[in-house]
Amino acid sequence: MTFTPLSQAPWRRTVSPVPGLPSGWTSPASLPARVEAWRRWLAGRPGGQWLLCQRYPGEFCAALVALWESGRVAVLPADDRPETLARLANEVEGTLPDAPDVPAAADHGIQAPLALTPSSTAVVLYTSGSTGDPVRLAKRFDQLDAELAAHAKLWPLAGTAVISQVSHQHIYGLLAGILHPLCAGAPFCGDASRYPEVLAARLEEAGGAGLKPVVVSSPAQLSRLPDHLPWTERSAPCRVFSSGAPLAAPHARHAERLLHAPVVEIYGSTETGGIARRRQTRSSTWQPLPGVRLSFEGERLLLRSAFLDTPDAWWQQPDRVAPAANGFALLGRADRLVKIAGKRVSLVHIERTLADAPEVIEARCVDLDRSDGRLGAVVALSREAIPHRHESRRDLIQRLRARLSKHLEQVAIPRYWRFVDALPSNPQGKLDRDLIKRLFADLDDTRAPRWLGERRPGADSCTLTLEVPERLAYLEGHFEDYPLVPGVVMVQWAIELARENFGQLGDFQGLERLKFQRPLQPGIRFTLELLRREDGIAFTFESGEGRHCAGRVRLQSRDGTGASHG
Amino acid sequence: MSETHDDLSIELKQLIIETLELEDVAPGDIDPDAPLFGEGLGLDSIDALELGLALQKRFGIKLDAEAEETRRHFSNLNALKALVEARRAD
Repeated sequence: MTFTPLSQAPWRRTVSPVPGLPSGWTSPASLPARVEAWRRWLAGRPGGQWLLCQRYPGEFCAALVALWESGRVAVLPADDRPETLARLANEVEGTLPDAPDVPAAADHGIQAPLALTPSSTAVVLYTSGSTGDPVRLAKRFDQLDAELAAHAKLWPLAGTAVISQVSHQHIYGLLAGILHPLCAGAPFCGDASRYPEVLAARLEEAGGAGLKPVVVSSPAQLSRLPDHLPWTERSAPCRVFSSGAPLAAPHARHAERLLHAPVVEIYGSTETGGIARRRQTRSSTWQPLPGVRLSFEGERLLLRSAFLDTPDAWWQQPDRVAPAANGFALLGRADRLVKIAGKRVSLVHIERTLADAPEVIEARCVDLDRSDGRLGAVVALSREAIPHRHESRRDLIQRLRARLSKHLEQVAIPRYWRFVDALPSNPQGKLDRDLIKRLFADLDDTRAPRWLGERRPGADSCTLTLEVPERLAYLEGHFEDYPLVPGVVMVQWAIELARENFGQLGDFQGLERLKFQRPLQPGIRFTLELLRREDGIAFTFESGEGRHCAGRVRLQSRDGTGASHG
Repeated sequence: MSETHDDLSIELKQLIIETLELEDVAPGDIDPDAPLFGEGLGLDSIDALELGLALQKRFGIKLDAEAEETRRHFSNLNALKALVEARRAD
């Protein structure tokens, strides 16, 4: 079937049903009946803007078309959190239900479908701004149609069936997973397709119906494709899209090998729509989409396209780029926004939400560049709120998570927490990269205590604030039901941290006045006081429970001198 | 009593903690009947994908295309344990 723009109502074409596709798929022939059901539900209700948050792509598409053909505007919340929906409900005429509960006979008073005006608003989308406040973006039909035409030119859908693994409440999933197949008359599905097992089944279903599958995906899914599923060449997609965040090169290769298909990444944003595309296994350079003009100012990317709200003005993209032949390389975000599982997350927003908690003084949220993409949080607490044990730390984390979950999607909530009495800072007063690395070093080094800060009252003394990580390697198999840090490990920590703070101190000569007074258990926050002495160091482990261990270590350099000062 | 101290329960708790890097969770914190996702342990959609991969690697378990069924297997530790007992390949 040929491509028809939205403004020419492609859903009103006469189509024949696609035989052989099971339920779970939406075919162009099944759509009109659902659109009519939604039109009946809307009849007699107020016009204007309606909130549309619908899990199933077929119902979503039918409701969307019914809103359009009755002269209404669809407002698409970015997530389905109750707080999000409640906040937006105040800005719209009403919220569409999960299903249109109207008897089939009640069809009196329905207006004939209205023709769509290219210059009128089709949808309102939400994304996160750099301050954390949601940004509201209206898209006209002419903007959507311009971008859909670019998709149709590069990636025609004739003879295909589209499987989406991403949310259609966002611009990429809306265009690639719903609107393009709608305009091309191709069957589509989504929802549970985000699971790899379901994707494999849907690929087979499309192949069985004589259609070539197209997969609309994201790095969250493609980086976690299991290799044991029956990814056959027979049911291979003709194309796999990825968007939301850059796909790591090894993941691009992995996905191409497993799915037997080219993986095409689309770079863009809610504000701009699509900007560029690449197939990373061929070239890492991003090439502009048809109709997109680029300009560079240093590391800044400027662009113009018919997908923008004002097509004849240059738009400045808040990503840093390096120009390259026929395109550019992406260097990273210029503001404090990160992408987690393809969702734009404002670190400032998380920090402000945390700072609203009564016990929190200030918070820093950090992208740890870990392969799991999870965030870390460094939180300065009032003295009495500092957790000293596993249980209180866990309770505090659960309280803070609960607070964040009212405003953020689950995946955006920090996974790694560091509680301090004041944010550590370098001589310039900044919590820099090195300090952040130190705060989270125990994630990769399961033999180290968790570092949470230190004081240096003089050249020969140092007090470190530390925690026993629950996953400390030394805890394993020591005592199954009563895990504790072995005494020898405490002594080893004292020596290692003394070397870090005082420099090379010489070789181990012996222990003196060693006393173990209390077991040190996982989750305990403690201080390690280190004193440099003529012949080595003195150390004391203390926590809110009292003294755990103290002693002296004799250390001597090979040339016979002790741990001499200076 | 719902508390389980058998080897498979402990192994699964450790698998969850290690795979998902739940640094603030000790094996004893995972209530075998409490939800793993959403309100309970607070796991999310990305964790579900990671956990699916880990089960395949450790036990050779292949999940079905029935998304609802998958969700039921992951609902709590005891359900997960039942899945592993029924389907483990080794």
